[in-house]
Amino acid sequence: MPIGADLVLHEESEPGRARNDGHALGRVIERAARRWETPLAVPLMDLRLEKIDLLALAGVPAAKAEIFHFEAPLDEDALTALCGEESVPGCAGSRARDEALDFVRAQTDLIPVGMAIGPFSLTTRLLADPITLAAMMGAGVTAEESDGVQLLNQCLRMAEAAVRRSVRSQIEHGARAIMICEPAACIAFISPRQLKAGSDLFERAVMEPNLRLKALMEEAGCDLIFHDCGELIGPMVEAFAQRLHPVVLSLGSSRKLWEDAQFVPRDVVLYGNLPTKSFYSDSAMPVAEVVRRTKELIQKMKACGHPHIVGSECDVLFVPEARDAIWKKVDAMVACAAAGSCCTKG
Amino acid sequence: MAENNELYNAILNGDAKKAHAATEVALAAGAQPMELIADSMVPAMNEVGRLFEAEEYFVPELLLAGRAMKSAMELLRPLMIASGQKLSTRIVIGTVKGDLHDIGKNIVASMLEGSGFEVIDLGADVSPENFVAAVEERKPQVVCMSALLTVTMPAMKTTIDALVSAGLRKQVKVLIGGAPVTSQYAREIGADGYSENASGAVSLVKSLLTAA
Repeated sequence: MPIGADLVLHEESEPGRARNDGHALGRVIERAARRWETPLAVPLMDLRLEKIDLLALAGVPAAKAEIFHFEAPLDEDALTALCGEESVPGCAGSRARDEALDFVRAQTDLIPVGMAIGPFSLTTRLLADPITLAAMMGAGVTAEESDGVQLLNQCLRMAEAAVRRSVRSQIEHGARAIMICEPAACIAFISPRQLKAGSDLFERAVMEPNLRLKALMEEAGCDLIFHDCGELIGPMVEAFAQRLHPVVLSLGSSRKLWEDAQFVPRDVVLYGNLPTKSFYSDSAMPVAEVVRRTKELIQKMKACGHPHIVGSECDVLFVPEARDAIWKKVDAMVACAAAGSCCTKG
Repeated sequence: MAENNELYNAILNGDAKKAHAATEVALAAGAQPMELIADSMVPAMNEVGRLFEAEEYFVPELLLAGRAMKSAMELLRPLMIASGQKLSTRIVIGTVKGDLHDIGKNIVASMLEGSGFEVIDLGADVSPENFVAAVEERKPQVVCMSALLTVTMPAMKTTIDALVSAGLRKQVKVLIGGAPVTSQYAREIGADGYSENASGAVSLVKSLLTAA
């Protein structure tokens, strides 16, 4: 199954309206699950919502949220106000997401799945130059030495709080599993060279907040699905699989899942990872190549014996100019997976 | 070997403070800005690019090196302007209309600047009209466009079409890049080149300018 609610959403006559209407969005999510014959009601992967909700607390309008970046460290009072646990995600998209969970829970036999950006990835969206600041922190520059590093630390706190608010709200609305998306937790943002030299950046900025998030979810009886389509090194995959220990680990197409399986406990299902970001192009990714790759993936996952769900490397976005190209490849991937048994169990 | 090892090493190690200090010392000792750029800074960034290609450096190291380079350039630029010196090649760069992602574009801009090019960064969500206006006004030799999303990639073609319509296409080399972009796509839309990373973009600019 692909993470494909966006494709189905755009089959609606008014996708923009359905996106912000919980009932309509719930029906879209249900249709996507029925279409791909999965019990999981996987929602839109809209990773803007937690930022919009966080910035609303700072008085930034939703329309400006995507281009807004914090430029200087906040005073403690302002920071504390943005890190509170009590406020409820309130933007139109978050409300629709939560109401869609209500719909799936009440009106269908599907498993309601939530979705949130991960704390580190949200942090990177709050800063104009996150890689440099993360690299400075990774090189050992402290908050006392650099306003930028102080701001990065503050954004990590704000982001974690915002994601926790989102997760709590989705659990209250019936999510039985939540997909936490951490695409920025990758080598573009976190240097393997620094990690090798002993930097604790990955531990402090990625693992610790996500471990706390996992504990929160576990306490509420909600499963963690962890998604990271960024470019990773083995120790990152190992940390996600063994220490976060999600029920499902979803990785990008740069990974060879059958090789990663050696790092992954057998009760962690691997998901993915066809190169769906290239599906828009018939020349770069013809249908025959999709079929070949799907067959290869199924065969190699069966050979290694690790539980696996064939799917996309990330969410499959609707592209107006490439609608048919994308759909025919998604269909080919799903048909191929169905023929080869889409779920392999060791 | 670089003329100024302090400056060279500071950039290679991504140490902005040391790069700034080494530049100050060099200038006080009578070094000329263009000499520092050509003999120490560009070689340092070339080595950074080589280490990136060899997968010994990663994007964070590229950016730290670019930051160190910039801290040195902050001291050199006013002196160059005062003496009427100019960098040889001007590049306009931006993320295309509808796309707000600027990290990849910033990395490429930083590497290009660090390699001795004059870079005019138009920012993110840049309309075809603004690219055209920048080419008309700033007369660059190269235009670089970035897109992170499949949904915004078509704006690259729209921008190239706008350059053609304005009669400016032949004046510039057009390079494109971004996660979903491919060399095939570059050919399809009539771009002059594609690079999958920042270091490759620098090499591509150099080779296109040499061939021109």
